[in-house]
Amino acid sequence: MTDELRVVGRDHPIADAALKVSGALVYATDMRLPRMLYAKLLLSPIAHGRVAHIDATEALALPGVVAVFSHENAPQRLYSRYRLLPDQDCPEDEPLFAETVRFAGDRVAAVVAEGLDIAAAAVRLLRVQYEELPAVLTAEEALREGAIPIHPGGNLLSEFEHAAGERPEARGNEVTVTVATSLPRAHHAALEPHSCIADCDASGKLTMWSPTQSVFGARTVVADLLGLSYSQVRVIKVPMGGSFGGKQEFTLEPVTAFMAMTLRRPVRLALEREECISSTMVRGASTSTVRVTADPAGVLKDLEVDTLFDAGAYGTSSIDYVDMMTKKLTRLYRVPQYRHHCRVVYTTTPVAGGCRAWGAVDITAPMEIAMDRLAGRLGMDPVELRLKNLVEPFDRELLTGAELGDARIRECLVRGAEAFRWDERVQQDPGRGRYRRGVGVACGAHKNGMLSDTFPDFSTMTLKMNEDGSVALGASLHEVGCGAVTAMRLIVAEELGIEPEMVSVTEADSDLTPYDFGCYGSRVTYVCGAAARQTAVALKERLLEVAAVLMGRPVAELCFRGGRIEAASAPGEGLAPAEAVMAAKTVLHEDVSVQSTHQATSNPGAYSAQFAEVVVDTWTGLTRVTDFLAVGDVGRAINRAMVVGQYQGAVQMGIGFALCEEVGLDTAGRVVPGGFKQYHVVNTPDMPDVKVILVEHDGDDGPYGAKSVGEISVVPTVPAVVNAVNRALGTSLSDLPLTPAKVVAALR
Amino acid sequence: MAVREARTMAVAVPTTRDDLVVALGRATTDTRIIAGGTDLVRSLRVPGDEPDLLISLGGLRGLSYVRLDGATVRVGATTTFTELQHDPVLREHGLCLALAASTIGSAQIRNVGTVGGNIANASPCADSAPALVALGADVTTVDGAGHTATRPLSEVVLGPYHTSLACDEAIVEFSFPALGPTQRTAFTKIGSRTAVTVARLTCAIVARFDAASGILEEVRVGLGAVGAVAFRVPEVEEALRGQRADAEAAALLAEGCVRAIGRSIPDRPTLPYKQHAAVGLAYDTWNALGLCPPCAPAAHDDRPEEVA
Amino acid sequence: MKMSLTVNGTRHEVDVRPTARLIDVLRDELGLTGTKEGCGEGECGACTVLVDGKAVASCLMLALQACGKEVTTVEGLAHGGELSLLQRQFIAHGAVQCGFCTPGMLMSAQALLMENPTPSADEIRTALAGNLCRCTGYSAIIAAIRAASGREADRADGSA
Repeated sequence: MTDELRVVGRDHPIADAALKVSGALVYATDMRLPRMLYAKLLLSPIAHGRVAHIDATEALALPGVVAVFSHENAPQRLYSRYRLLPDQDCPEDEPLFAETVRFAGDRVAAVVAEGLDIAAAAVRLLRVQYEELPAVLTAEEALREGAIPIHPGGNLLSEFEHAAGERPEARGNEVTVTVATSLPRAHHAALEPHSCIADCDASGKLTMWSPTQSVFGARTVVADLLGLSYSQVRVIKVPMGGSFGGKQEFTLEPVTAFMAMTLRRPVRLALEREECISSTMVRGASTSTVRVTADPAGVLKDLEVDTLFDAGAYGTSSIDYVDMMTKKLTRLYRVPQYRHHCRVVYTTTPVAGGCRAWGAVDITAPMEIAMDRLAGRLGMDPVELRLKNLVEPFDRELLTGAELGDARIRECLVRGAEAFRWDERVQQDPGRGRYRRGVGVACGAHKNGMLSDTFPDFSTMTLKMNEDGSVALGASLHEVGCGAVTAMRLIVAEELGIEPEMVSVTEADSDLTPYDFGCYGSRVTYVCGAAARQTAVALKERLLEVAAVLMGRPVAELCFRGGRIEAASAPGEGLAPAEAVMAAKTVLHEDVSVQSTHQATSNPGAYSAQFAEVVVDTWTGLTRVTDFLAVGDVGRAINRAMVVGQYQGAVQMGIGFALCEEVGLDTAGRVVPGGFKQYHVVNTPDMPDVKVILVEHDGDDGPYGAKSVGEISVVPTVPAVVNAVNRALGTSLSDLPLTPAKVVAALR
Repeated sequence: MAVREARTMAVAVPTTRDDLVVALGRATTDTRIIAGGTDLVRSLRVPGDEPDLLISLGGLRGLSYVRLDGATVRVGATTTFTELQHDPVLREHGLCLALAASTIGSAQIRNVGTVGGNIANASPCADSAPALVALGADVTTVDGAGHTATRPLSEVVLGPYHTSLACDEAIVEFSFPALGPTQRTAFTKIGSRTAVTVARLTCAIVARFDAASGILEEVRVGLGAVGAVAFRVPEVEEALRGQRADAEAAALLAEGCVRAIGRSIPDRPTLPYKQHAAVGLAYDTWNALGLCPPCAPAAHDDRPEEVA
Repeated sequence: MKMSLTVNGTRHEVDVRPTARLIDVLRDELGLTGTKEGCGEGECGACTVLVDGKAVASCLMLALQACGKEVTTVEGLAHGGELSLLQRQFIAHGAVQCGFCTPGMLMSAQALLMENPTPSADEIRTALAGNLCRCTGYSAIIAAIRAASGREADRADGSA
């Protein structure tokens, strides 16, 4: 199929690359609106307590200060920053400004001023008295009898269990391993800090410019909170300097909108790095205990998982996030019985929220670390053990019965093992020297869209052809920075037989572009991409209709040939599409534009197998990843360069999650200060040149067979690295990240 | 943008030493002296903490140098880490300081950050400190009265972010005895990653070595990032003096460093890690001296008692 | 405080607080918003500009420290509307994703190539150690710099 494709499947730069390399792309913090004000937040310095008194006298006296907001003069209504849909079931437990602060980083107040310097100076002049309450810093502590309730309903936000299948009768020779793996709080670390601008005009219309993953979600949350109609709130998606899930919930939009509406002036709220880390969202801390049983041949018989998840101070998406953790393992392995018990718990710590791959990283690490332990117990090669249990193409997964489509994880693993020379390298003795080398492997499964969930998994797009044959795709895209807009452009260009430069693509604007609920659940390429293709097909049909009238021939006789519309019976006679559009306007007084809605009909598995080689210094405890191979079942790469680039970037994130990334708290529950000085992401000297193999095939419903990339790419990285470290050292480390101190402690 | 100043701040950008003295003469305890600014600029942003007077050393071209003055190496206070890293005089006569400079931060930091700033800021993790300690460096300052004073580094850096520098006193120069052909020196650092990392442990060594006999005649060892200030380890230095430069000397060095760390941070939770890591660091530093064929510590799991 | 700054070859007079950082003056006073602030502590490199040809973190430098020196920002890389070879290689190699690190990456790379026109991959990694990227895993960026250095890049996209 690739042979027939002109633009899809090749390497293309991201659509706005020229703007980005010249510094011309305008991100939210680059915008200046006339009369714009600057807001600065006062964040709680304590983990838990009541705001007894706020004295803003000095702050308000500072020239240039326009307003100070706190719980005393803001709506008290509780909301959920996670709400995407008006009728969505999500916990509403968060106020605009806290009267009871529930974590160090909670919003206590905001100063709005004519300049950022003034706002920053004024925030320091706010005098706040707190009545401290006991901090609750771990999920275990929160569940203890007598623990102080953080919210009125108690600290157990949700407890549930999913189970399916039956365990085959025991033969008595099964092998069971039980492994508890902990993942710490993590920071998404998009290079662009959070920011948002809101304006309210004289008519009361609120307009927001936000690097968000859902303009309609932001609109819903803001309008519902402020009592506005949805037509009174317009949210415009602006360029986003990365999200990785950190910008998918509406952290800054509600408070910024409130301040702009109250002041009837544009207000900008932009956070600094330390504020991003402590006050927006983190990937929540979790511990999952995997109990996996296999027969002596390595065939899985039973899988039981218990997850304890620290949601932090507010519920946001945590229940759904943990629910997603239960939907991954049966997409990966055939197992007769699966049982997963989950508890989601409030603590007075930074708020957990969505993070790239939504639970898949959090549950795949425990599972794949346990699988290596099982392989060890069985005396079996880790690749061989996995091959005995991985799903086959067109399996139905156990838990929901969903079809997995043309699931090629086995092919990923086999091709990867060969390219990595796994069989040879796994045999190498790490030796007894100071530096020990080991290899590790892991597999992961993810999804393509949200069909099985209660979300509106469709996308509506418009496409119009201009008089010169170029086209404009109207779509509510939310480019996070990895090429969604470019992919849509390629798909439309491919379908219409024109050059990508002839296709313009919009991003989301809640007033102007058709409904699409946002960039979530690995749905953009699979669902939006299919919508783009379908819309392009509809435009071709519309062109034929118009040409039929103009040419006086039945539609059925017309077709596209060599970039022209011709009658099958009369080659050479016909119209170029541009001519048809021009004539449609001047002769028929009609526009050549279409609107089309694509509804997702499937949600196949997305897969990756990854291989890591590490070298561990047994004296300093420092681990270096010296080689890495990622194999991805991508169905079809729409834009090869960006697919490979996303895989390479995902591995950077996964290595960090495995070895160094952790949002640490001090004993009082405050995030250890220092921003990126303290929170290390992997930089160039420690990053291997990641090799990527793409497994491509037909067989799934995505555009040209394409499946998702952005999330699955990070799913197996953490356990691949951890398994390599454990192989190198003969350890069984599973308390992440594997810092030098933990490595050394394991060796001593 | 309308900007209101909490109070008026004066700025002095002296271009000559005399100008500097005049500027220092106006200094109070609220005055800040900025060299590269890589440590200071962040704190200058804290509203309400603005200095009354900001003295920038950036205009003093004459404070940026490395030169050999007889048997003494003189390093100007505003010499950047990039300049130190590549300076041929320093690489020949005080290599450990050049190596320390090369491990500091990123290229962006090294291009701006200065050795004087590194010491005046007095971070316990300052990378240049153990190198200067091992080199036996003195610090020369000038004050607002125009007095020049020279004292040992250990009398300048007193504790974390705490120095004996008066508010009207600026570091102008570091000086130390030039290392000669019979001396070898090395610097190594453990951070939490390969590059751009705050030091968790640093070690600098200067050793005088008799090539004919293979005997260590004099050894100076500086440790950093394990306690309030970088410090010498006399116990190790004594133990190594007169020793043959071989694997046994390396082991003595490692054991001595481990003990010194135990004395320096007995109650810190990081102690077990740092003592373990010190073994690796000590061997790396020893091997970098190049006095004997590279030697390695026994595997931690072969002879764990070596670590204790 | 009045000061004059030469940025991308043009002299500008500005009147700012003495503690104004270089990045603030570039972005807020001169409208050169291509220079990005990702951390404010010199750790991420998004704010990298050249001062007298050397890469510096403009978030850790006061504007007054750059007085009398030549400042180059990402806006100064193109000439006469034509992107530089380095910029074009970043585009061609897929070294740009979200774009927030890109200006800083380009400036660090530019400083490196001015000093060392044919750097090895390791030298590039060292020069970029202070520039973080969360999107690309760095491989495409390193390949782009190698290509701009005139060396034949290894298989640039990492495909095996």
